[in-house]
Amino acid sequence: MNKYLLFMLITLFLSNITLAQNEDFYESKVTLSGYGELHFNQETNSKGFVSKSLDFHRFVLFLGYNWTEKWSFKSEVELEHNFVQNGQGELELEQAYVNYHHADWFGFQAGVILPSIGLLNEYHEPPLFFGVERPDYHNKIIPTTWFGNGIAFYGNYLDFDYKLTVMEGLNNEKFSESNGIRGGRRKGFRADAKNPLYNLRVDYNGFPGLKIGGSLTYNKASGDTSTNKIDIFEIHAKYNYNNFYALFEYGQINYEKGNFRKSLGFYFDLGYDLSGLLKTRTEIIPFFRYTDYNTAASTLLRGDADKKNHYKYWVFGISVKPIQEVVFKADFGIRTRELGNEETKLFNLGVGYMF
Amino acid sequence: MNKLIIISLIVFNSMTPSDSDLKSDVESLIRNNFEFETRLEFINYKIPGNIKQEIEKKSGQKFFKDFLYMWKVYRGDDYIATGILDNVYGKSQPITFLVLINRYNGVMMCEIVKYREPYGGQISNKKWLDQFNGKDNSSSYKIGDEISTISGATISVNSITKGIRKLTILISLIGNDL
Repeated sequence: MNKYLLFMLITLFLSNITLAQNEDFYESKVTLSGYGELHFNQETNSKGFVSKSLDFHRFVLFLGYNWTEKWSFKSEVELEHNFVQNGQGELELEQAYVNYHHADWFGFQAGVILPSIGLLNEYHEPPLFFGVERPDYHNKIIPTTWFGNGIAFYGNYLDFDYKLTVMEGLNNEKFSESNGIRGGRRKGFRADAKNPLYNLRVDYNGFPGLKIGGSLTYNKASGDTSTNKIDIFEIHAKYNYNNFYALFEYGQINYEKGNFRKSLGFYFDLGYDLSGLLKTRTEIIPFFRYTDYNTAASTLLRGDADKKNHYKYWVFGISVKPIQEVVFKADFGIRTRELGNEETKLFNLGVGYMF
Repeated sequence: MNKLIIISLIVFNSMTPSDSDLKSDVESLIRNNFEFETRLEFINYKIPGNIKQEIEKKSGQKFFKDFLYMWKVYRGDDYIATGILDNVYGKSQPITFLVLINRYNGVMMCEIVKYREPYGGQISNKKWLDQFNGKDNSSSYKIGDEISTISGATISVNSITKGIRKLTILISLIGNDL
């Protein structure tokens, strides 16, 4: 009896998934979108040496197809630094997944996906963040873009938005004092499935203009000959209303073993859109950012070894958006390494787009 | 084990909105907005070509189709409001939304009827949608100022904001010709 009932229910469930659809308000469609950014970077180190570069940093195309309103495919291919040759530049499949959207409170995606860690990893189009380059914090502490093979469950209920990701783990033998876990991302390349990474993120969106939340991540990161358990704790908040912009994020990585046992950092942004005061349709947003991070905060050697990868970085900049999808950026800042009080002056110009 | 699967499927299935009830769901949403009894008259409204073109130019957004589902809302014999069901595109999927507009062209209520994207579902938040109440075709819809943004839902916020403004422009042009 139970088997018969189960069969009937599964049939009913699948028919509900596949059949019900109002054609006046839905049509299958291929979607093409993307983003890109050109950067001019000037760095002056503490000895006065100046380097200048002009780099089309990212060219990204997003291709999607919707079979039905519940079943769709989404992908993102990225070319970094114009072309790939002799280990320079990167061509990456950053997203490629089948998405099933059951209802607002539940959906899942399976394929090449993004873990939900920090404010930037899933939303990294240039018009969406201040500064020509992505914040240092999102390079050194929470490495972006972080992608890999796996499955994720997501949804939103009441004012809460949540996502649970289970995906390929990290390679602990590529962890480094200067870059934390960044080098350990396997990027879907024949990834080891023995020790998956678990990531849970919850956000609260109950106040207009505010998102506040955090995430927890755990992985027993494997290598050829060893394992190293890591956990990542991260909290974030972002606010934009009445022309005011504010953002904060703090992240900490704890390592079970190795020469360093902790990577941590935070940054905050404050900005104000002057377009209302200047009576212009173009958004003109000056901003200030302060960042403090240490990729090897707790080393076995202590002393100077703890200071070697500790940086403080302040930045003043401006974003000018003639339309929401196009941004021109400029910023200037000084990054100081704690060891030796070494200063690097950075000046950047950029243009970015999304569609 | 089977019992657990059966219970899960029943709960899962019962929480799935059925699209075949789209019209009746929308009619319930409209009726629930009024404390008194209302009569609804459904119209499959074909947007005149010249008006469609003018509105698309003004709003910077195309209509999903060349027709809209509309409901004239009556209290007794008095025509008091218009409900409009439309679609706009999010990043890749259409977002189906309802706007209720009074006879003075002001927005009375907005509701996301169906959201199909994996990201940005927070735009269904009632408090966020309430920001549009009272706005009309001449209001400012500036995102980040008059309309708060939702981090992680930038494209959906832009689309829905344009979509609501588009319908207020439409009603200001055709309000008496329905």
